[in-house]
Amino acid sequence: MTQSFKNTILEEAISWIESGQQVALATVVETWGSSPFQIGSKMIINGKGNFLGSVSGGCVETSVIAECLELIKNKNSFKKIDFKVSDENAWDVGLACGGEMTVFIEKIN
Amino acid sequence: MKIETLKEIIKKKLSNEQFAVLTNLSNGSSEIFKLGIPISKNFINYKNEIENYYNLKKNGIIDGTEILIQNYIKPVEVIIVGAVHITQYLIEFLKDLNFNVTIVDPREFFITKQKFQNIKITNEWPEEFFKKIATNSNTALITLTHDPKIDEPALKYALKQKFFYIGALGSKKTHEKRCGRLKEDGFNDEEISSILGPIGIKLGGKSAPEIALSIVAQLVYETNKLLLNSKN
Repeated sequence: MTQSFKNTILEEAISWIESGQQVALATVVETWGSSPFQIGSKMIINGKGNFLGSVSGGCVETSVIAECLELIKNKNSFKKIDFKVSDENAWDVGLACGGEMTVFIEKIN
Repeated sequence: MKIETLKEIIKKKLSNEQFAVLTNLSNGSSEIFKLGIPISKNFINYKNEIENYYNLKKNGIIDGTEILIQNYIKPVEVIIVGAVHITQYLIEFLKDLNFNVTIVDPREFFITKQKFQNIKITNEWPEEFFKKIATNSNTALITLTHDPKIDEPALKYALKQKFFYIGALGSKKTHEKRCGRLKEDGFNDEEISSILGPIGIKLGGKSAPEIALSIVAQLVYETNKLLLNSKN
C-alpha cells in the first residue's frame, strides 16, 4: 500500500504515548495469495489490548494483539509473525481468505 | 521503532513530498529515506536496491534482504471550482484519501455561506488562482459552478496543462454547448474529449451526496490508473 499522507495512525500512536501508554506498532510486510490487506497496512496496540487500525479483514487481529501484548511485557523490541494457511496456528486465527501474510510488530520507545 | 523516528515521519508527512521509511527487520532499526540524503550504516549496503524501489514507488521487503521499504507518495492535487453544496460532500469523501484539495470560487457569498472546515479555499477567479500556483499533469480539476464564465477559464487552463483528470458538472446538453464553445476557442476534439462531462460515474442518483460520490469514484479510478502507469 502506498502510505497515505492522510492516514493518521502514526499521529494517534504519538498521542497514546504522550498520554503515558505503552504502544506497539504492527505492519503488514509481506503478503501472498488473496490476503486482503496490502503491504504497509498498520495497527497500533496499547498495553491494555486496545487497538486502532487493522492488518487484515479481522482474520489475524486477535492473534496480532496477543503477540503485541506479549511484546510490550517482555524485553524484545520487535518480532516477525508469519500467518500461513498450511500452519495450524493460522487455522486457529482463521485466515479464511486462503492468503498468507507476514506481520512485523515493534515496540515504540 | 524509536519515538524520535516516529515523530520525524509525522513531521515529514507535513512536507507533502515523497519520502520512504526503511526498516531493517533483522535488528528493528528504522530511518527516513529521501534521494540525496545520506543513508546510515544500517542500510548503506543496500543503497542501490533502496533507490530502485524508491524510484519505482515499490513497497515491501527488498528481494533477498531483510530491508522493508514503505513509500509515502506525494498526494495528488485536486482543484475544485465552485464552493457549492456538492463540494461539501466531496471534501467529506476526499478527506481520508491521498488528495490535497483546494476550492476556488470568486463568489464571496458562496464561500461564506457554505461550511468548509480544514480546507484550502480561495475567493478569486480561476485565472488569478492559476497564475499563483504550480500545476502539472498530475493535477485534477473538478468544475461545479456550471457557470461558463467561472468554469471555462479553469477548463481551458487544465486542457493546456494536460491535467490527468478534468471533470465538469452539467447536463449532456450543457456539456455539448460547452464543448462547442471550446472548439470555437481552438481546442481540438481529442483535447475536448478528455473532459469528463457530465462528470462522475453513472450511479443513477441526483442528490448532492450521490453526485459527490459518483465524482469521487471516478477520480479514484483515474488516479489509480495514473499511479499504475507511472510505475511502469
